[in-house]
Amino acid sequence: MAIPNFVYKGNRVLLKELTKTDFKLRYQGSVLGYLWALLRPLMMFAILYVVFGQLLRFGGDIPHYPVYLLAGTTLWSFFTECTNQGIQAIVTRGELIRKICFPKYIVVVSATLTAVINLLINLIVVVIFALINGVTPSLTWLFVPLVLFEFYCLALGISFLFGAINVKYRDITSIWDVLTQALFYAVPIIYPVTMIAETNQTAAKILLINPIAQIIQDVRYCLITPETITTWNYVGEEHWFWKIIPIAITLVFLIWGSWYFRKKSKKFAEEI
Amino acid sequence: MDNNIAISVKNLHKSFKLPTERAWGLKQAIFNRLKGIKGYKEQKVLNGISFDVHRNEFIGIVGRNGSGKSTLLKTLAKIYFPEKGSVEINGNLIPFIELGVGFNPDLTGRENVYLNGALLGFSNKEMDAMYDEIVDFAELRDFMDQKLKNYSSGMQVRLAFSIAIRAKGDILLLDEVLAVGDAAFQKKCNDYFTQIKGTQTVILVTHDMNSVTKYCDRAILIEKGRVKLDDQPKKVADAYKKLWD
Repeated sequence: MAIPNFVYKGNRVLLKELTKTDFKLRYQGSVLGYLWALLRPLMMFAILYVVFGQLLRFGGDIPHYPVYLLAGTTLWSFFTECTNQGIQAIVTRGELIRKICFPKYIVVVSATLTAVINLLINLIVVVIFALINGVTPSLTWLFVPLVLFEFYCLALGISFLFGAINVKYRDITSIWDVLTQALFYAVPIIYPVTMIAETNQTAAKILLINPIAQIIQDVRYCLITPETITTWNYVGEEHWFWKIIPIAITLVFLIWGSWYFRKKSKKFAEEI
Repeated sequence: MDNNIAISVKNLHKSFKLPTERAWGLKQAIFNRLKGIKGYKEQKVLNGISFDVHRNEFIGIVGRNGSGKSTLLKTLAKIYFPEKGSVEINGNLIPFIELGVGFNPDLTGRENVYLNGALLGFSNKEMDAMYDEIVDFAELRDFMDQKLKNYSSGMQVRLAFSIAIRAKGDILLLDEVLAVGDAAFQKKCNDYFTQIKGTQTVILVTHDMNSVTKYCDRAILIEKGRVKLDDQPKKVADAYKKLWD
C-alpha cells in the first residue's frame, strides 16, 4: 500500500499543509524573517571566503573562486539542514504520531522539503553571483537539476534511515552532528581538489567517491567552470567502476533507508 | 463483511514491552544479555477483545483507568497495530483520541482548521465545504484570523471540538471529549448528539455515565483488557458503578 499512497490525494494535501506550516513557522518572530534563509549561507560564505580565500589563499588559480566557494557552502548548508530536519522529524512530530494515523514518511518528506525550498532560493543568489562574476551561461546548466535530484535522494535516504533509528536511540542526533562536522572537511568545499591531487592522487580519488563530493564538484562543473575536477573526469577509464560508486552509495541509502523506515514505522507510535 | 456492520473487532490482543528500570544504558544492556535477564516487562493491555459495531450505532466504551480503553481506541484508529486478532473497519473513520491534535499556537484559527483537516485526511476542497459549519458551531467567526495562542483555552477546545463533530466521516471516534466549553456550548453539544443519534456511527469513550445512558444505544464495559459486559447502557452504567462499591 505504501507506494500508491504517495499519489493518494489526501497524503499530498497533508504533505503540502505540513510543509507550508514548517516553512511559515521557521522564522516566526524574527525581524528579518525569510531573509535568514538567504543570509545564513551567505554569512557562512563570507567567513570562509575571508579566512580561506583571502588569508590562506586556498583559491589558487581556480577561476571564479568566490562563486566556486559560494556554490559549495550553499550545497553544504542544504545537506546539513535537510538531514538534521529529516532525522529529527519523527521525534519532533511525536505528539501527532501518537494521536493520529497517517503515513509517517510524510513527516520526513515535509521536513526535508523546507530545506529544498531554501536551497532553490539560495541557488538563485548563486546564479546572480556567478553572472556578476563573469561566468557565461552554458547548456551544462541544464544538468544541475539532475545532480540536485541525486543530492535530495541521498539526503532523504539518510533522513529515513537515521530518523527511524533516532526514534529509539536519540544518540543519533548527536552522532550525526559530529559526523557532519567531520564530513565538512572530507568534502572539497573550502579547499580545491587540486590541492589534494598534487600531493596524493589516490587520496583525491577516495575523496571523490564520496557522493557529496561528487555532487558538489558536478554542480561546480556544470554551473561555473569545466575546469573543475569531477569524479567522472578524474578517475581514469581503467577504473570506470569508481565513477558509479557515488551513485551506488546514494541508491543504497535511499533504498535501504526507505525499507528500514517502512519496517520500523509501524511501531513509532508506541516507541516515541 | 456484512454491510450493516461498521466495525468488527475479533479476539484483539495487544501488549507493550515496558523497559524496566535496570534496562537503561549500554553497560546494563550487555549485563542483562549475558545473564539472560529481559530488559523489559511485558504488559498485556488487551486480552482478546471481540465486538461488533453496527452502522449508525452509538456505542459507549467505559472502564476504569488502565483498563485498556485508550489502547483499544488507538488500535481502532490504526495508530497501534494489533498483535493478534483483527480489526475490520467498514467506512471512513475519523479519530479524535485527543482534541486539537496538531494545533499550533503560532497559526491562525483558520490555518489550524485546515491543518487539522489535512491530518484527518480531508482535502482543502472538502475542508472548504465544512469550514463555515465548523466556525459557526464553534461561534468563533470573529477570531478565525487571529493566532491560536491568543485564544482562551475554552475557545481552543471549542474549535477543536467543532472540527471533531463537523468532520464528515462514516465513523466518529471520541475519547473523553464531552465536557468542553461553557454551559451554553455544552447544551449545544448535547442537542447535537441527540440529533445525530441513530444517523451516525459513533464510538464514545467516557467516564461520565450520564452521557452513556443519554446518548448510547449500547455500551461496553472493559476490565483488564477484556469485555466484561456488552449490554444496554443502563445495565453497563450500573455495572461500572459497582466496580468499586
